[in-house]
Amino acid sequence: MSIFRLGDQTPPEPRRITDTVIERLEHQFEVDPDLMQITPQQDMPVWDSRRIFNARWDHLDWMHAHFADEVLLAGELSETMPEDHS
Amino acid sequence: MSRTAFKAAIDDHVLAELRAIIGDDARVRPDRSSRAFRSRVPAPFPVHRWAEHFPDVVILPRTAVEVSEVVKLANRHGIPIVPRAGGTGLSDGAVPLRGGIMIDCKLMNQIHEIDLVDRTVTVGPGINMLKLNEELKKYGVIYPDDPASYPCSLVGGRIGTGGWSLLGARFGHTRDLVISMEVVLPTGEIVEIAEGGGRKLRKSSTGLTLKQLFTGHQGTLGITTQATLELVPRPETEFAAFFAFDDYMKAYATTGILTKSGLATLAGVVLFDEKKIEYLRRDDEAYIPQPESVRAVVAVAMYGRRCEVEPASKEIMRLGRSNDGKYLGDEISAGDWASRHDRYATPLHGRDLDGQAVLMSWHCEDAALNYSVLPQVREEWHAIVARYRERYGIFDDWGMFAYTSGSHKPWADYLVEIDVGIWEQKLNDENWAAWVSCKREIAQVSLKYGGSITACHGATREGDAELVPEEMGSAWPVVKAIKRALDPNNIMNPGKQSLDEAYE
Amino acid sequence: MGEKELEFAERWRDNAYGCFSSGHKFCREVCPVMQVTRNENHTPTAFHASIVAMEKGLVEVEDVADDFVHCTQCGACELRCPNTLFTGDFYRHRTRTVDVVKAMRALMVETGNEREGWKLWNERLALDHNEPVLGDVRVSQEHVADWADGLDIPVGGETILFVDCEAAFYRTSYTRAFAQLLQRAGVEFGLMREQWCCGGPAAEMGYQDLALKHATHNVQDWRAVGAKRIIAPDPHDFIAFTEDYPKYFPDDYEFEIVLGVELIHDLVQAGKIELTNPVERTVTYHDPCRLNKRKGVHKAPRELIRAIPGITFHDVDRVTQWSYCSGGGGGLPIEKPEITAEISRRRVARAAELEVDTLISACPWSERPLSNAGHEANIGVMDLFELLAISAGIEP
Repeated sequence: MSIFRLGDQTPPEPRRITDTVIERLEHQFEVDPDLMQITPQQDMPVWDSRRIFNARWDHLDWMHAHFADEVLLAGELSETMPEDHS
Repeated sequence: MSRTAFKAAIDDHVLAELRAIIGDDARVRPDRSSRAFRSRVPAPFPVHRWAEHFPDVVILPRTAVEVSEVVKLANRHGIPIVPRAGGTGLSDGAVPLRGGIMIDCKLMNQIHEIDLVDRTVTVGPGINMLKLNEELKKYGVIYPDDPASYPCSLVGGRIGTGGWSLLGARFGHTRDLVISMEVVLPTGEIVEIAEGGGRKLRKSSTGLTLKQLFTGHQGTLGITTQATLELVPRPETEFAAFFAFDDYMKAYATTGILTKSGLATLAGVVLFDEKKIEYLRRDDEAYIPQPESVRAVVAVAMYGRRCEVEPASKEIMRLGRSNDGKYLGDEISAGDWASRHDRYATPLHGRDLDGQAVLMSWHCEDAALNYSVLPQVREEWHAIVARYRERYGIFDDWGMFAYTSGSHKPWADYLVEIDVGIWEQKLNDENWAAWVSCKREIAQVSLKYGGSITACHGATREGDAELVPEEMGSAWPVVKAIKRALDPNNIMNPGKQSLDEAYE
Repeated sequence: MGEKELEFAERWRDNAYGCFSSGHKFCREVCPVMQVTRNENHTPTAFHASIVAMEKGLVEVEDVADDFVHCTQCGACELRCPNTLFTGDFYRHRTRTVDVVKAMRALMVETGNEREGWKLWNERLALDHNEPVLGDVRVSQEHVADWADGLDIPVGGETILFVDCEAAFYRTSYTRAFAQLLQRAGVEFGLMREQWCCGGPAAEMGYQDLALKHATHNVQDWRAVGAKRIIAPDPHDFIAFTEDYPKYFPDDYEFEIVLGVELIHDLVQAGKIELTNPVERTVTYHDPCRLNKRKGVHKAPRELIRAIPGITFHDVDRVTQWSYCSGGGGGLPIEKPEITAEISRRRVARAAELEVDTLISACPWSERPLSNAGHEANIGVMDLFELLAISAGIEP
């Protein structure tokens, strides 16, 4: 059960991923806020960030099922990443 | 003298006639909001001159007879007609250039017949493919016309623009998937356009093959009011694999190897160039963490029965790696491929010269080119965009894709796109002129290398339209004669594709 | 162009431009209203375009006022928009169509372009402090807890059950079932001293001052009884308490807000509510928009249905249901009842294709139009809490 508390809705401090990308919530990249001086960022509570992230993956899964009965994959790890990125 | 029509031809008398034809005032809309909202499509828009692109009145017809009567009236009075389906095109087919009557066909979204014996579905032009396929799923069939606007574009617009499908190498593109259609001609007659004979025949040799003439005309030859479409067996299995390369030429070579593999279930191959990968690193979770050595990508997908796809997938994995390709992993292969079905750009991809994220509109220049010229065109296109970006600061190079484009023949033809961001809020007459000029230079490169200005969006806008006669070459007089014969008063989407020349 | 219009255009311009400059319209085919009217004026894209057009002096509020009535605020458009779904979290900049619709409706009220039906509705809200959900029969504080007759629920305490106007006066079986499920599990809770409308619907129709007045009253009432935790079984209230109230009281909002369906889910999982009575029904589930699209809540209701013995469940996934709606939200049934009825008719027809006898919802506002449509199609419409109460052997 998720209990809403206003105090929990501010995301944690970021960790840097690349020159222009940070991460605040697990597996969820964000633009470096310094790049958003012309287009201001919105006050986005944690629940909303997670909602969008989860919806994206649900949507992608749905698209596969829309076009075919099953998805076949090579079943192999990434050869470009140190470990399979998930 | 050009026999073009003008906005002023619509008056209270014409509106009264339109209301009498439609018989429902809610479907005859001369109000400001109805007109304003039907002025643009996703393609970059001269927002500083928005009002010039208002239609004068919008009609929401329900039947072919209503469309026919409205077109007859327009032809009688010399009023432009602009057909609009989804309004999701990446060129200006549905953008009024001279006001007039807009025929918005979204209410014509019925499924008229599903024929599982002769494998056709007959629909109105206002239906969306995703919605259609949700209905078809229970019958084990699919209508596999799959553009990047798959969840929002409509069948009528797909026919009007002669659309390209992500799965075209396997299932064909829009024009291959439309078996026949009912069309209202510019003079108002309702005609059945087929291969010949009945409306469910895929091939005939009787008379002239008119069907191709009525796909991809950008609303300049008529309005499709009903279409009979192909039903193919719903794929049992999808397979997607993405391979990374440290060099564009290796990826290019691998694209050639994959497309010539002879695998019948191959549905599409996509080549991402170095600029595209740089761009994806801005905000795409699949590419952000990739090491620097990932400089180009080749994506490949197959659809079919498991007994075909599974063994073929092993061969794809072998061929994908045959020229130093590295598999990007299951998660990207699945996730990124799924996102290709609705891959319209989002505006915050844009960066100004200081690297700040700004809201940019997306121009997708979509030439048709042969395999042999891809590397050279790539260099010249990027150089053009870099020059304009540097000088004006409102453009951005979003990289290039090359997609297999031959229907059932993936080996030699490519839809090649360079994606350019445009900061519309900064547009004025000077910047718009610069943009048109940039577009023209890009299109000229395509022609120089024996290509076509456009593989699917249409050459309907400034920058492209004036090059249509050059591209058509010795066939241009034939094109003009056909246009003049079918549309004697130049009412059907006038101003597009330089077809005004037919009346000079 | 008045000062208010310019101020409004300035406030929303950037977000609107995110949509306008894309122009891709992925929202269109998921929009429940657009699916019925097929009129591009009613697309979320048009709503955003109107702001850009207003800034450029091409349209005024009165030109677009009727367009902006055509919205249930279900949130499908803004979730399905690629600017949200693919990059909204990355840039912390997503499409905000629901906010824009609410703001435009507020502007309509401020500029004398309000709609007659909404005006009357909110005049009665101002008078009685609950929504006039019983039509000509007036609602009142005297009767706001009639649904709880005989249940011995105290007033006040650390945990407060907030009951929606529709659920307090109209769909009372829903509220009773929910309260009895809590009692069965031994949850201690009380009611408010004076429970006013949450104010959410008033805000949805553009009556912002009225919404704030009701919110202020409710927060004061919670504090007065020492409440720390508010249980909101109705998704509409949950939205008001987790999205509107934090904006009204950004520095002073200490309450825990608990969503009813998730609480019941936890209690069933913990064995505090035992679902022992078989329910021999073939059902499908309607994802309420404010749970599924607006809040991403879709697992708990499905797991609860699957926990009921004897039930046959023909589920439709949550993504397909982004384009489903009852048409009951955002004040649409007050101004455009014929569109609400058609949206519900289509939703029930989808259920009928699955050969079910019952459509289960989890939102009282959806259940009135869905029940009307279900009556025509011979499909029963039940609330999830009502169904769970039966399985738990609770007498109504």
